[in-house]
Amino acid sequence: MTPPSVFIIVPAYNEGAVLRSMVEQLLTMGYKVVVVDDGSAETQKNHLTGLPVWFIRHRKNLGQGAALQTGSFFAQKKGAHYIVHFDADGQHRAEDIPLLLTELANGADLVFGSRFSGNKTNKIPLLKRVVIFFARYVNFMFTGILLSDAHNGLRAMTADASTVLQLKENRMSHASEILFLAKKNQLKIKEVPVTILYTDYSKRKGQSVWNSFRIGFDLLLHKLFQ
Amino acid sequence: MTGIQLLLITSFAFVAIYYFVRLRNRILDVLLLFGLVGIALLFVLFPEWTVIIANRLGVGRGADLVFYTCIVAFWFVILKLYTKIRQLEQTTTELLRKDALKNAENLSEKKN
Repeated sequence: MTPPSVFIIVPAYNEGAVLRSMVEQLLTMGYKVVVVDDGSAETQKNHLTGLPVWFIRHRKNLGQGAALQTGSFFAQKKGAHYIVHFDADGQHRAEDIPLLLTELANGADLVFGSRFSGNKTNKIPLLKRVVIFFARYVNFMFTGILLSDAHNGLRAMTADASTVLQLKENRMSHASEILFLAKKNQLKIKEVPVTILYTDYSKRKGQSVWNSFRIGFDLLLHKLFQ
Repeated sequence: MTGIQLLLITSFAFVAIYYFVRLRNRILDVLLLFGLVGIALLFVLFPEWTVIIANRLGVGRGADLVFYTCIVAFWFVILKLYTKIRQLEQTTTELLRKDALKNAENLSEKKN
């Protein structure tokens, strides 16, 4: 039996050397890696020379949602069975990916990593916890799906699911858009406890709490105009 | 004729000429434009007409009525422009994406 081909989409925007070590780790686990450089000031290729990864570069910065979608299109074309979204800033752990894939193998269409479900020890900054608490209910209001986490960047989906999960929101509100689409297409959703590493680097690269307002606004407009 | 009437009439005339030059081939747009400018000129020349309409609608002054309708009109224009921007953004995304996918490369030539 040939193992299913798993494509990991890593959107990268002005990442540092962390990118390489992270990608190397994914490669040793036998996954195919697609790095989507979202118009970084300096091409991210320099961090990845010699690695057997696919490299795609947007000439201009479009946003994480757009980068993930580009990666998904590419993976679909390459005959991926499973597609995984994985943040480049080192906040996700490669070891958590098999947990998500197991759920896909068990029949789920879309699996989210959750930093709250299960009893993993995640040290989540208080402010972040408050914002996520509200974000969960905003998502619930819009989609009727109440997850234990919101805007967790680690998710896995089957190739079939990825064809209906076409992201139109270029920026961060894609994380909610993916829920709308999942709901609309009646996908089977699962959550899996994962560990989020709040390193200094990932905190610096991550979103500020204020950005959640921007996301909320984008969501509202998305509902109005789609 | 008061100063403000003179000012408004010249401004409207400029707007009308400007759009007329640009929209010449689009008859419907030109008609709509002249209709709107015509109404504007009428209200500038005979401001007491707005008062009559305003009173009918329960607004005290004609100028207030004009102000309120302008706010609604501006919101409409903003939303129109916003949808346009979103469309443009999607077009840009598609173009950049197509270009990016075409230039996808494998960084080591060992694997396919």
